[in-house]
Amino acid sequence: MSRQLIFILIALSVAIPLVIKLGLPNEVTSEVMAVYEEIDQLDSGSVVLVSFDHEASSLPEIKPMAQAVLRHCFNRKLKVVGLALLAEGTAIGEQILRQTADEYGVDYGEDYVFLGFRPQYQAAILGMGEDIKRVFPEDYKNIPLTQIPIMRKIRNYENISLVISVADGDMPVWWVDYAVSRYHMKLAVATTAVMATSFYPFLSAGQMKGLLGGLKGAAEYEMLIKKPGMGQRGMDAQSVCHLMIILLVIAGNVGYYLKK
Amino acid sequence: MPQETNMQRTIPIIVCFIFGLFMLVQFFVPHHASISAYQTVLDWMQIIFVFTLLVGVISYAKLNAKKITRTQTGWGYNLIGLIGLAVMIILGLSMGTGEKTPFLWMFNNVQAPMQSTMFSLLAFFVASAAYRGFRARSWEAGLLLAVAIVVMLGRVPLGNFISHWIPDAANWILRTPSMAAKRGIYIGIGLGTISTSLRIILGIERTYLGRK
Repeated sequence: MSRQLIFILIALSVAIPLVIKLGLPNEVTSEVMAVYEEIDQLDSGSVVLVSFDHEASSLPEIKPMAQAVLRHCFNRKLKVVGLALLAEGTAIGEQILRQTADEYGVDYGEDYVFLGFRPQYQAAILGMGEDIKRVFPEDYKNIPLTQIPIMRKIRNYENISLVISVADGDMPVWWVDYAVSRYHMKLAVATTAVMATSFYPFLSAGQMKGLLGGLKGAAEYEMLIKKPGMGQRGMDAQSVCHLMIILLVIAGNVGYYLKK
Repeated sequence: MPQETNMQRTIPIIVCFIFGLFMLVQFFVPHHASISAYQTVLDWMQIIFVFTLLVGVISYAKLNAKKITRTQTGWGYNLIGLIGLAVMIILGLSMGTGEKTPFLWMFNNVQAPMQSTMFSLLAFFVASAAYRGFRARSWEAGLLLAVAIVVMLGRVPLGNFISHWIPDAANWILRTPSMAAKRGIYIGIGLGTISTSLRIILGIERTYLGRK
């Protein structure tokens, strides 16, 4: 089979289910349920820190997860502090946070804030454990944190109920090393499917409270908050694409044994 | 000049020893003086990192400029890279990076789609590579193939649609044998990190100085 034909088959297996809905049943896994329950049990007004630790390349996978989690947070009337520890997560994080906040009509500065980007993530994570205003003297809009109502009550991790790292790499491990181990923070992770398995040992050890893995994690979370979005739409495409790859592997093996 | 070389080697080792030891000790000292000094060191770390970014940008510009001036193979790509760098810097510095700025427009409509496209291409190459290379040539390869199929099906709703057994099996594979292997790797990494850190702090490991 030519490479071009394989590419066409993969393109069709992704594109067709995005247009024609198959509605395959999905089930919520325990690690996604754990994130949901962790957020759901927080009192109204509790502060959740959402760190956008990713690059632009993983946006199609990252955005549905971040949106689903933020929708849950705003729906539960939690306060959200957003920031980015990778430069490209800055603009993306700010837009996702602002757009989701607009859906719920919550106010910037009162209900949520975006602090922007800080380089050298180890120092930033450790520094916020002592004093967030020292690491981020101003927010993304260059407003001093002392003038932002939500930040007046937040000094460090002691005033934050949960950290959610929306990541496409191993940044959650740094959050475990520096925020969980040293400051006993609660950490939930939303990560790309390819990275999810790397974090199971941390999940099993209780260092991560829950885990959303890729588009499937987003789809499961959308089911829990009863707000269908890009995650659920993408799962049909992912299912058919996985099936296509399996069929290609089987075809390759059949061809191999027939030749042999 | 041997004396100068000696200074260049000795001072970084002393600085590394002092700060390495300080960061180790201050973890166990909750006194406010220790915390204050610790915060200052964290500030320094961020400042130093910003300068390393600057070094990276200069190095990138120099390397690409050299290839363009020598018209080496693919110099056009280097030129596009440099133009991209210059445009984003100029737009960001002159008009800001906030909402409704040309910088953000470029990021949303050029950089992000290009990077997502590059990432998406993986699906095509993975499919092609799997078709050509994933062969059950031995018992072990057959087992790997079977496990891969179960996990691939189990991680999408299709697996659940076929049978509840598939996602259960996929979850067991990920949470038991796969996690055991991951744990082993993480423990190895942890021990390696500790020993390497100690070697650097004590000045035994000096390769980070960049010379013999």
